[in-house]
Amino acid sequence: MLEVNNLMVFYENALAVNDISLEIKQGEIVGIFGSNSAGKTTILNTMAGLTHHLKTREQRRGGTRITITGDMLFQGENITTMKPRQRVERGIILCRERHPVFRDNTVEENLKLGGYLRKEREVEEGMRFVFDIFPPLTRLKKRKAGMLSGGEKEMVAIGMALIAKPKLLLLDEPLLGLSPHMQQEVVRAAVRIREHGVTILMSEQYARPIMPVVDRAYIIENGTLVMIGTSLEMMENPEVKSAYFGT
Amino acid sequence: MAANFLIYGLVNSVVLMLSALGFSLTFGLSGVANFAHGGLYLTSGFIAWMLIHYLGLPAFVSMLLTIVITGIIGALIYRIIIMPVRGIALSEVISTMALGVAMIEFFRYIGFVTYDFTLPPLVAGSVDIVGVSIDYQRLVIVGVGVLLAIILWFFTHHTKAGLALRGMSQDEYTALSLGIESDWAAMLSMGMGAALAAVAAMAILPLGIISINMGYDVLLLALSVTVLGGLESTAGLIVGSLLVGYAMVFTSTYIGPQWGTVVYLAAIVLVLAIKPSGLFGKSKELEERV
Repeated sequence: MLEVNNLMVFYENALAVNDISLEIKQGEIVGIFGSNSAGKTTILNTMAGLTHHLKTREQRRGGTRITITGDMLFQGENITTMKPRQRVERGIILCRERHPVFRDNTVEENLKLGGYLRKEREVEEGMRFVFDIFPPLTRLKKRKAGMLSGGEKEMVAIGMALIAKPKLLLLDEPLLGLSPHMQQEVVRAAVRIREHGVTILMSEQYARPIMPVVDRAYIIENGTLVMIGTSLEMMENPEVKSAYFGT
Repeated sequence: MAANFLIYGLVNSVVLMLSALGFSLTFGLSGVANFAHGGLYLTSGFIAWMLIHYLGLPAFVSMLLTIVITGIIGALIYRIIIMPVRGIALSEVISTMALGVAMIEFFRYIGFVTYDFTLPPLVAGSVDIVGVSIDYQRLVIVGVGVLLAIILWFFTHHTKAGLALRGMSQDEYTALSLGIESDWAAMLSMGMGAALAAVAAMAILPLGIISINMGYDVLLLALSVTVLGGLESTAGLIVGSLLVGYAMVFTSTYIGPQWGTVVYLAAIVLVLAIKPSGLFGKSKELEERV
């Protein structure tokens, strides 16, 4: 479904992503694990076109020089230089880190914005699906998103991404700052989303909550890919266990 | 006397609100401080005048056309002037300020400085309200102000484009990740802000002649009420307009008409010195952007 070949991203002379190649197959849940500054967010942002957008803007105003090399193929089509909107149209939807919501808008308005490029009917269908997956949002529809807890914000953020009708859903550290109970809720939701035919790529620092539901995982350190394996292989690897399972 | 003060204070406040609405909307939705706002206001007045006098179009049609043309000019200003420097606040301010001055001074240069330049009122005549005589055009201004406030609220809360603009103003990268384009959003908000400057001009200019210095006055008035109320805040815009509007009428009536200007200039200085974010302001203070 998505093939990334020899991706490198530089911010000026700093190498953020170093020659990474990865593949995500239809229907999989794939994990990218790494510590802070490993390059996870840059990889996901690059897949969603945000790095390319930033590069274009910085180029225009003579700011930070951003270089992106390598290529990305989504369902056989080269998306490397596509704008974020074109990628959303093709079904690549990113849910950014730190539970991003539009704080001054209500939950319902946030969810509607998720379907910005979709038809009215698709938005309504999407809303039903989101309320089914995250029932607490039903009673929070009219509440300002800025007033929600971290877990509720994450539900809204994933909800917006779902209403955008993803084929490939990129979740950047969705469990960050959530309680163990809420982490389990989000992981359960991810499994249900996959059951609806959505492929998922999830990045996390801490692997324990999501490794059991992941088909394959990539471990990244300092922008470099250091390990690839199935979730079982990862869970049995002592180095991975000590670095990403907290044991 | 009190009725006179209340009614003219209200009309003056709505005039201020209308004058500032476009500036406030553009800044609130895209973060662009459009210092060409006064230039656009003046230009729209002269465009309408030319459509009426050179092309012979009916006044109402000319005014509608002017609003559309000015909106397009605003969008083009974003595309050509602002887009290359987007995100560099000082460059945005300098480029729009330079453009605004160029627009205003262009009309001075080509001789649009006589008393011939006037726009006809939409409704002629006057009416007595609790013993105070007020012309219909001033009532039109109040009506337009209220109507615009309702339309803009509906647009930003119940339409896809309006929600997208609000989303973009809050978190650009999340909006981008949902397929909303930031340059499109900023261009739309600049176009709308410019069109609103034209609406204000079409409502207000029939009260007198179109004078070149109005371009500067409108920009300063817009800055005054938005800085006082708080940039990005609709409630702040309304309260700022009422405070400055009534203060100007009070000063002109009881102290002297020449002191009216001092009020709004003093408001800018005082607010920036005491509470830079304004009465209802949030994060983006003008001093951060200039």
